[in-house]
Amino acid sequence: MLKKVGLVALLASLLSVVVATTAWGSAKAPANAGAVAAKSVKCGTKVTIGVAYPETGPAATLGTPQWDWANFAKKTWNKSHKLKLAFVRGDTQLAGNNPQAVQVAHAFASNGKILAVSGPAGSQEMEDTASVWKGANLGPVSGSETRVALTRALPGTPRETTPGYFFRTVPNDGQQGDNVATFIHKKLKKTNVRIIDDEEAYSQGLSLQVKNDLQKVGVTVTTDHISQQNPDYNSVIAAIPGNTQLVYIPWQVPAMAQQFFTQLRANGDHQIVMGSDGTDDPSTFKGAGSYVSGFPVQTNAPALKSFKKAHGGDPETFGLPTYTSVMVNATALQMACNAGHGKTTRAAVRKDVAKVKLSKAVSLLGFPVVFLKGNHGKFQGNGDMGGTAAFGIYKIQPNGSYSRVG
Amino acid sequence: MHHLLVFNIIDQIRTLGWPGFWSLLRNGIVSGSLLALIALGYTMVYGILQLLNFAHGDIYMVGAFIGYGVLQAFGGAEMASFPIVPLIIIMFAVAMVGSGVLGVAIERVAYKPLRNAPRIAPLISALGVLFFLESSVQLLTNSAHVLYEGVYLGGNYPSTFGPLLNSVFTVDGIPFTTVDTLVVLAAVALMVMLVWLVYRTRFGKAMRAVAFDREAAAMMGIDVDRVISMTFFIGSVLAGAAGVMYGLYIGDTSFTLGFQYGLLAFTAAVVGGIGSIPGAMLGGLLVGLFQNFATGYVGGQWSDIVVFGILIGFLIIRPNGILGSKAIQKV
Repeated sequence: MLKKVGLVALLASLLSVVVATTAWGSAKAPANAGAVAAKSVKCGTKVTIGVAYPETGPAATLGTPQWDWANFAKKTWNKSHKLKLAFVRGDTQLAGNNPQAVQVAHAFASNGKILAVSGPAGSQEMEDTASVWKGANLGPVSGSETRVALTRALPGTPRETTPGYFFRTVPNDGQQGDNVATFIHKKLKKTNVRIIDDEEAYSQGLSLQVKNDLQKVGVTVTTDHISQQNPDYNSVIAAIPGNTQLVYIPWQVPAMAQQFFTQLRANGDHQIVMGSDGTDDPSTFKGAGSYVSGFPVQTNAPALKSFKKAHGGDPETFGLPTYTSVMVNATALQMACNAGHGKTTRAAVRKDVAKVKLSKAVSLLGFPVVFLKGNHGKFQGNGDMGGTAAFGIYKIQPNGSYSRVG
Repeated sequence: MHHLLVFNIIDQIRTLGWPGFWSLLRNGIVSGSLLALIALGYTMVYGILQLLNFAHGDIYMVGAFIGYGVLQAFGGAEMASFPIVPLIIIMFAVAMVGSGVLGVAIERVAYKPLRNAPRIAPLISALGVLFFLESSVQLLTNSAHVLYEGVYLGGNYPSTFGPLLNSVFTVDGIPFTTVDTLVVLAAVALMVMLVWLVYRTRFGKAMRAVAFDREAAAMMGIDVDRVISMTFFIGSVLAGAAGVMYGLYIGDTSFTLGFQYGLLAFTAAVVGGIGSIPGAMLGGLLVGLFQNFATGYVGGQWSDIVVFGILIGFLIIRPNGILGSKAIQKV
């Protein structure tokens, strides 16, 4: 028995060594990277975007809506433009498996056809691949990376990407956390809050932001953690102090939020539940009286209705900013190809991404997209969206619909 | 740091008081019962073939999905108009048979051809089946999490819970609900039936004979292949039942479910003594209790550390587990 367990452990170790070695090997730029990065590419009738997202692994549940929305953007764009889009997809797997993200970054970097990138999905992945993208002259546009430090230096934390080499079509954690904390304290007037993160970078970053903001204004905050892999929350619920008024769950899977809500009520507890943008999905998280922070969505847009219809009634709104990121890249590609009279380079595309402006109707986000050139406010920096881009707070009604309250 | 952790635990024990203790005990017993049912599959197959069937956790996951499929076929918890008791019986029956058939199919395709191969070969095959099942379900379900919402069965979704949440009895104000009791009693009943089958029937005697010495059993006229297939069938049936119990008790089902629970159940089988049926039951219960008390008193981030720490501890101090017997080395 021990021998077998030992053997399995040995196999796992070997696998880790292989993965780590591959990642280390790939951390060095491929020999042709410089040439590919500077290469002038003929636009022709089709240009290629690399889409990096978790296709497999435990976070595939997040990657699926991103891929669906990316495809929807491609279809929408190709219907009305002569310059068509093609995708190369890369499976980054997320969930702490960053060597995979590094491999995808290198594969995209050395693929001369790829002129722009949508993704990756996780902030940690961007941090680990930033130098690869920069070396390849690519400026990824992410639809889900929300860590503040990716676009803005914070006290004790330098900016994690080079300005001009990273953009995002979601407001960041600073904006979301600030908004959530202000709402809890000022609108709901709660003084005892429990924050439960799901041990992932996104969740922990947001938890910390909200915790710090709430503690600054005198709110008592207690914390706990759950694992994305274990959906039995009964004991986490049993451990919630009796005087808790609100439980904040910045998680990434709406079904987990609904499950938590049901178990909380089944245990006879009546605290208010508040989720983050990761749980923002009216077709799944329906806990009446709960709150959700999320980016505003153009619910009446024909595109959204058409997407919903094509996906069994599920709007999969978590993936919607990936639609926007593809639209940003497509617009930049069009601009660069026009300016280069049918030829362009990655550098030209990247510079044009910074200049892209999408109307509210095209972005589907509920606000127009325009990228900041420098720092703005407490949390935003170059590569973040400026203007009215922000998170809203929604209350879940008894019929499951979301109505904006903050 | 350590002092801080100890103070935090003491503080948390005081904060939660006796009601918290009873809640955690209840949760530990219920989730431990589920783990015990899954652990039995690991231990039975190991007892017969000395094979760590890592794919077993995913049979449990498939069982949970089959139960969900049946529930949806009757309209789902939101609008199931079918009487609740026959509905639950049908869910159990279909999931148990479906999982049993899947278990036998896996044995036939992935393990039987390797019966005489070096031991590492079926082990790798088991890992292959694990990833095959997980990826297949991922593709079939489009990576979705599905929710049973079983507590609403017979109720009025989403405002009123159904009879599964009725209190059967309370301890210090903490209710032990119908679903808690159903899970524990069904698990105990299935385990008792298994013990009866293994120790009180002719087929059980054949199983024990195959486990003791496969070649000798074959020479005595026992159909070894049939016994092995039946062992996989029974183990998988139990996993299928556990899948439906999980769905009714918890509900959030996704393709990753089998890996986490499979690992915990494997831990339970090792702690109890792999190959020992009472050991698997005891191990499941202990792992469930440890996991829930660690979550409640130390914090959710510690539960895996505690459970797998126990596994390492047991492997070092008592490699054969609590009720496992020392293997006799034949020379």
